[in-house]
Amino acid sequence: MRGKFALIAKIVFLGFTTAILALLTESAFAQKQYVIGGFILVAALALNIVYLTSISVPFKFFLPGILFFIAFVIAPIFFTVQMSGFKYQTGNYIDKATALEQVISLGAQPDAQGTTFDITVGRNSSNEFAILVSDIANNKYFVSTPTQRVDVPAASATFNEYGVAIKAPNFNAMSADALAANDAYSKIRYKYEGDYYIAIESQNAGGVFRQELTYSAKTGVLTNIFTGATYVDNHRGNFAKVGDPTVLLSPGWRAPIWFENYSRLVTDQKVRTPLIRVFLWTFFFALFSVLSTFALGLILAMSLNRPIRGRRIYRSILILPYAMPSVMSILIWAGMFDSDFGAVNSILHTNIHWLQNPSLARSIVLLVNLWLGFPYFYLICSGSLQAIPNELLEAAAIDGANPRQVFRKITLPLLLQILSPLLIASFAFNFNNFNLIYLLTGGGPTQTLNGEIAGATDILISYTYKIAFGTNFQDFGLASAISVIIFLIVASISMYGLRRSKVMESFG
Amino acid sequence: MISKRFGFAGVIAAAALAVSTLVVPTASATTEIVVWADETRGPNLTKVIAAKGDWVPGYTIKIVTFSSYSALGAALDKATGTTGPDIFVGGNDWVVASAKSGKLAPVTLTASQKAQFTSSQLYDLTYAGKLYGVPLDINNVGMIYNTKLVTTAPKSFGDMVDFYKANKTKLSLKNGLCVTGGGMSWGALSVFSALGADPYLMTGRGKVDTARGFNPTTFGTNMKKYLIDPATGKSNGFWASSNTTCNDDFYSGKVPYSIIGNWEWKTYVDKGFAMNLQPVPSVKGGYGHMFGSVSGAFLTSFADKHGVAVGAKSLLVNFFASTAGQVAYEKIEGRPPAAKGAQADPTVSDAQKGFGVAASQAGIPQIGAILDNKAGGSNYWDSSSDYWTQTLINGKDATVEARKLAAIWRANVTAAQSLL
Repeated sequence: MRGKFALIAKIVFLGFTTAILALLTESAFAQKQYVIGGFILVAALALNIVYLTSISVPFKFFLPGILFFIAFVIAPIFFTVQMSGFKYQTGNYIDKATALEQVISLGAQPDAQGTTFDITVGRNSSNEFAILVSDIANNKYFVSTPTQRVDVPAASATFNEYGVAIKAPNFNAMSADALAANDAYSKIRYKYEGDYYIAIESQNAGGVFRQELTYSAKTGVLTNIFTGATYVDNHRGNFAKVGDPTVLLSPGWRAPIWFENYSRLVTDQKVRTPLIRVFLWTFFFALFSVLSTFALGLILAMSLNRPIRGRRIYRSILILPYAMPSVMSILIWAGMFDSDFGAVNSILHTNIHWLQNPSLARSIVLLVNLWLGFPYFYLICSGSLQAIPNELLEAAAIDGANPRQVFRKITLPLLLQILSPLLIASFAFNFNNFNLIYLLTGGGPTQTLNGEIAGATDILISYTYKIAFGTNFQDFGLASAISVIIFLIVASISMYGLRRSKVMESFG
Repeated sequence: MISKRFGFAGVIAAAALAVSTLVVPTASATTEIVVWADETRGPNLTKVIAAKGDWVPGYTIKIVTFSSYSALGAALDKATGTTGPDIFVGGNDWVVASAKSGKLAPVTLTASQKAQFTSSQLYDLTYAGKLYGVPLDINNVGMIYNTKLVTTAPKSFGDMVDFYKANKTKLSLKNGLCVTGGGMSWGALSVFSALGADPYLMTGRGKVDTARGFNPTTFGTNMKKYLIDPATGKSNGFWASSNTTCNDDFYSGKVPYSIIGNWEWKTYVDKGFAMNLQPVPSVKGGYGHMFGSVSGAFLTSFADKHGVAVGAKSLLVNFFASTAGQVAYEKIEGRPPAAKGAQADPTVSDAQKGFGVAASQAGIPQIGAILDNKAGGSNYWDSSSDYWTQTLINGKDATVEARKLAAIWRANVTAAQSLL
């Protein structure tokens, strides 16, 4: 009975999961996201095969984890690496075909006077789309189709209360509902004079334009037929003017530039200088944070590792900063150091702009991170200290070692062996500690008048965020390149640390 | 065997369920115009559009409201032909990036529609010679003074500084002037300008005067005369170096003059303040310029892909740019309408009109191509707020820093010339 229930529950759960994944697949394919759609489809098939058959029992446990790992770890890394090879920034978001379509569309220029007419949309006697145009200022009326323009004597037209012609011989106006149901009429260029045509600008207005930019698919060249200027693909995501490549047509498109974003990190002084400064600070910040939080946590753990009155209460209090959501703690600290209403200035009766001075701001960042981080190390040091056999410490004491020697020669080495992976993980975490920087200082202060681009407390990840999302000009390609570098640095340091600590060997 | 049977049943059930989801329509109907707006505009637009259902005959209008202005901006960043709106409502500072990225489509207005707006308002929504939306309402600031502290309107910047110095101790003043509307860069332009520093100036023909920059020596001298304490080399306290407590300080009578945004006037009226608005008076007795930018309703390039481009353009002119539409909308929204016809409507409040008058006295267009430009090493927004920090807080020489500021702004204007 229990087995049957479990089987039914499994099938129902699988049925719903498959249905949801099918819906997501359809949605992804509808949005032309073929890779995502394909992955979801494969995931749905794999789930059904693994759970409805006995093909592999271990896979029943591993498959969800593997799928999430691919979706949320491997895919973002792959996407970031891919984007780092593209010119992908404000002005270069869309694909080339769409960009070309829009460049040509923007190449239609209004006449010098910006002439517009009141129009009525309908069909002519041949059932073609046509517009009845009212040139009220000149008391002229005509019916226009893509190929011909037929004047309409005012006497033969019918007008509305604004003097706009709404009826004419051989012209049948269409209802608003009919026009809304099919917008094909709006894409037609209705004949006007010479090179000029009338384009639909709203349900009852049309503007006079002429197409100035033309595109040759054969040569890939855009030509302004009136000035003779030509524009070619500069292979960097834009059409550039021949003879003056600084003149670019908008919009551009996402174009591969291979390793240029990486080379900019070295060759472009505007990128390189702040990056080096930010990198050095990030490294110092991460290292200092790990060492300071570990040291304070260890001191407190050792202090409370002996029986003293009220130990439980002390322990509970020490864990409180860790129990409180870090976002809240950081915002409270930011408020405390506010120059106008902060508690610190209030208590000290000072008017110090704590977060406007680079050195003070950096010190505050380190202090707040110490506050947020020491309970974690206090907790794990407490547990680890209890794991060190008392016999070792007693034997050392009998051999004449003083407490300092016991700590240096026995306790600390043993602790480091146990805690190495956690120290490395803490370094990696602090290397990318975006929340702290973003919420406490926003990366500032930034002395922009002195040409600084990155703030004094910006770490690599907050600097990357600024490049990608910080201002109206977004450079996702460059931000992706920096992200890849961060990934390589953290991965290398972590691998080196784990090898040195020989932690992986214990897993055989 | 049972397991297998159940297995097949499960697959069939799952497939049936999956297929059933496919018949649910997931895309908007082609006669639906989708408008994106932020958390304040969205509900107000919904009410106004629902009250009169036929703004665009043959089409229905759907307003999508976002939780904040920045959430709307983030959604626009990610918008694609499939997911994007047909129209969105936002500030003019989005024009450059959105147009460059191909997210906007140009709009052509008739002569009578254009006549409803000033050339400056239309310029705000223009990029590379194309208009991308219609002006909806004015974003500007105005300086208000607390009549319990100050009885007459100041005629010059010096009048305000003198009042502050004379009454600082007696009235327990914290500062003389602070900015709440738009912060230390956007809102504070009027103080920069009042002291002689403008990021750009306009010609009589409504174009950017690219030949004129500001004189850093004159500006630095004015800074030292009016805002710097000679003893400390830092702020003399008249001009608040941050805007975090400006509102509360003004309400409580600790600051006599405040630069407020036109979206804030209701709070001040509710607290009993008279709407005695004016631009910040300059050191010479005229007025400091302030950004008199507009928010607009923008046509996206997605509308064409959705088959509603004509409907969306019609909504822009029939509702967003029309007197009737702006009057109905601003009655709820409470900002000064952009259209001249709407501004003259008797339902527009005195406060809304007051901001409109202030804008006409000293407004300059907010030109994103210049202000967002970083050719000089920094954009207007970052460099302007840093100037206050370096001089008023860190005590650096006001003239030396002004030279750096002038160089940055000049380089940005030069770089933006091709986009104007």
